[in-house]
Amino acid sequence: MKIKLLISSLCMTMAGLAQMLDPALLTRPATDAWPTYHGDYSGRRFSTLTQINQSNVKHLTLAWIFRVHPGITPNAIVGGEGPEPQGPPTDPGTYTIKATPLMVNGILYFSTPDNAWAVDARSGRELWHFTWKGKGGDHIGNRGMGMYGNWLYFETPDNYLVSLDAQTGKERWHRNIADLKQEYFSTVAPIVIGNHVLVGVSGDSLDIPGFLEAHDPETGEIQWKWWSEPLKQGDPGFETWPDEYAMRHGGGMTWVPGSYDPDLHLYYLGTGNPNPVLTGRSRKGDNLYTCSIVALNVDTGKLAWYFQPSPHDTHDWDATQTPVLIDAEIDGKPRKLLGQANRNGYFFLLDRTNGKSVLTAPMIGTMNWSKGIAPNGQPIPDPAKEATIDGVLVSPQTGGATNWPPPSYDPETGLFYVGTSQEYSMFYLTDTDPHPEGWGAAERDAGHLGGDLEAIDIKTGKIVWDHHYPFTGGAVGILTTAGKLLFTGDGSYHLVAFDPANGDILWHAGLADDLSNGPETYMLDGQQYLIAGAGDSLYAFSLEP
Amino acid sequence: MKSTGLFEIPAVILITGMAVATGQTPTAATNAPPPNYDPVAVERGKTTFVGACGFCHGSNAKGGEKGPDLLRSVVVLDDENGNAIGPIILKGRPDKGMPRFPLTPREIADITAFLHNSIKNAIERDNYKILDIVTGDPKAGAAYFNGTGHCNSCHSVAGDLKGIGAKYEPVTLQGRFLKPENLWTEGTPPHRVNAISVTVMLPSGESFTGTPVNYDDFNVALRDANGAYHSFTRRNGVPRVEIHNRLQAHVELLSRYTDADIHNLTAYLVTLK
Repeated sequence: MKIKLLISSLCMTMAGLAQMLDPALLTRPATDAWPTYHGDYSGRRFSTLTQINQSNVKHLTLAWIFRVHPGITPNAIVGGEGPEPQGPPTDPGTYTIKATPLMVNGILYFSTPDNAWAVDARSGRELWHFTWKGKGGDHIGNRGMGMYGNWLYFETPDNYLVSLDAQTGKERWHRNIADLKQEYFSTVAPIVIGNHVLVGVSGDSLDIPGFLEAHDPETGEIQWKWWSEPLKQGDPGFETWPDEYAMRHGGGMTWVPGSYDPDLHLYYLGTGNPNPVLTGRSRKGDNLYTCSIVALNVDTGKLAWYFQPSPHDTHDWDATQTPVLIDAEIDGKPRKLLGQANRNGYFFLLDRTNGKSVLTAPMIGTMNWSKGIAPNGQPIPDPAKEATIDGVLVSPQTGGATNWPPPSYDPETGLFYVGTSQEYSMFYLTDTDPHPEGWGAAERDAGHLGGDLEAIDIKTGKIVWDHHYPFTGGAVGILTTAGKLLFTGDGSYHLVAFDPANGDILWHAGLADDLSNGPETYMLDGQQYLIAGAGDSLYAFSLEP
Repeated sequence: MKSTGLFEIPAVILITGMAVATGQTPTAATNAPPPNYDPVAVERGKTTFVGACGFCHGSNAKGGEKGPDLLRSVVVLDDENGNAIGPIILKGRPDKGMPRFPLTPREIADITAFLHNSIKNAIERDNYKILDIVTGDPKAGAAYFNGTGHCNSCHSVAGDLKGIGAKYEPVTLQGRFLKPENLWTEGTPPHRVNAISVTVMLPSGESFTGTPVNYDDFNVALRDANGAYHSFTRRNGVPRVEIHNRLQAHVELLSRYTDADIHNLTAYLVTLK
């Protein structure tokens, strides 16, 4: 009896420890774990694993499927301050897995709006399910969780940062981070760096300012807050706004996780579009730091440098797409670089020590809003393509040439992979007031030319190969591996493996829905797994033993 | 989420290709949509507001010389049924130079409805009203129709486009020449036509043509003129598939139009009553 008790208490202690995330995991490429949104801090989504490779990818087989059942299910752990829901959730966003699951010590952790799960990464069995009774907010998506030791963090549509015990799924605390009634909502996956939990916000229906906050992982207390805009005359960037009123209502949401360079101690973040969204009359100027890539000191939140891909944006082309950290030689010299495939249709390569442009190159042929590229690497917006009462024809659409789904950089090919689409819209000015509100203009779809999976040579900006989809395509999550494989979705319900060197198709599997997150991979018990979220299900693949 | 609208049946397949691309640009997909405000109360509230508050806050509540923009006011945004607005109206804000207004509960409720409704109108961008878009030169539009645009190589203003200006609102009409519907009815007897057709060429030399039901790297499926369904496995681009689009000229115009061409063509087409 005593022995049994001892064993069981020992097991519990070990289980407790086994759940813990070793912080060192966060600073090296993931192999036996996927401990943060991008797998590691670089945002490359390149895995060094080679068990699954070109020679055997045809033998990939389904290991398990996990389907989500959000809402107050019989075993759900319930939190939140909202009213008791009437029946199961109805918003499709709640049933769509946009999160890249964390995988730590054999357990997957992921979330959809108002819901979080722990799932055995070997078997696909649910360990716990947490559901949040919310007060509203947009349920368009949730990009996942962050982890610190034994604690998990995720954001809710009604703007709470919630911390859970990874072992039990029980809530530790929650903190309100933004005002729901101002139309803020929250979707981003918190990123944990050192003892900072970085959280951001979404929402551009009304003219509200964006920000990034660092919270204490133990207590949830706020450590620092960085606003996407200057707050008053004299603040850095104030000269890019006409007045304080415009800048304090200037948008700049922080809804996609950034990347981090531990040596430079900088967090790289893409910021959202300015407000009012589709008309710039009340915000003449470049509108810093909206539509920007910013480098922030992770301990203080102080801005180190910025680069603005879309000065004075008037088309909803935020710059939130993953800033991917790339180490490569340029002109024979090793460089610390940052690449971004931007919603506005350009690929940007920067020096990540100082934000200076290395290269700017167009990704799509239909783009018609820019008059060229300035010497500093910034596109020059054509003012004639800002919404007018009688309409202007613009490509890309507001959804952009690409969007939030994570791209990938493969250091072995030197190619940057991204899903793009070529579409046109008419933009009509609808609010002629000198101080328009919200979007201020209307968009109408004017035509599609399909989409592409593109492989961009980071050193030249040239598209080395592309796979064209006449009817589908568009932004899509991508994973590359040292097994010389690229995994992504094709917009026709398939998970597809491409040869990253030339775009040849090597393997595919039909799923019940389209890929809705970034695929990931890890090793467990000597077996390499490939995980993909498609609609309401996670799919796990591995090789036949 | 948007559909390429090219296929007749499996819209779900095509829609989802773009689903992830919509990013953070939702329409009104919240759990609890904003309430609808009684239009009569809103109208009354506007009148009361203009009389009592408009001098300082502007007649549209977007702010004036003395008073702040109330549509961006956190007090107003956080207000529920006048619980924050009411006391400020009744007590004023002496520290900020706002006098008190002894309004009735109904007047306060009406003003509250007017303010919240104005905010709702800003939020709901799918309902923004497009203004007068007919600004172009009809003569230049006619010249484009018969010249640079080559519209007259397929269309006739006395034939298929007769009376088109009376049939559609200008913005709809413009949308239909920029991105025409892929499905329409024509011929005798009238039958449904899909602009897109595919021809599948088998290695044997046999070929099948019809309306696409699915098209991707691993499968092509179509329905032929007799309504029969044919589905083929694809591997490495085999069998070869040709895609035909009867509206290809419209797609190609997208990269050639100037905005003036679009405005002029619209102005011309609306004259075809």
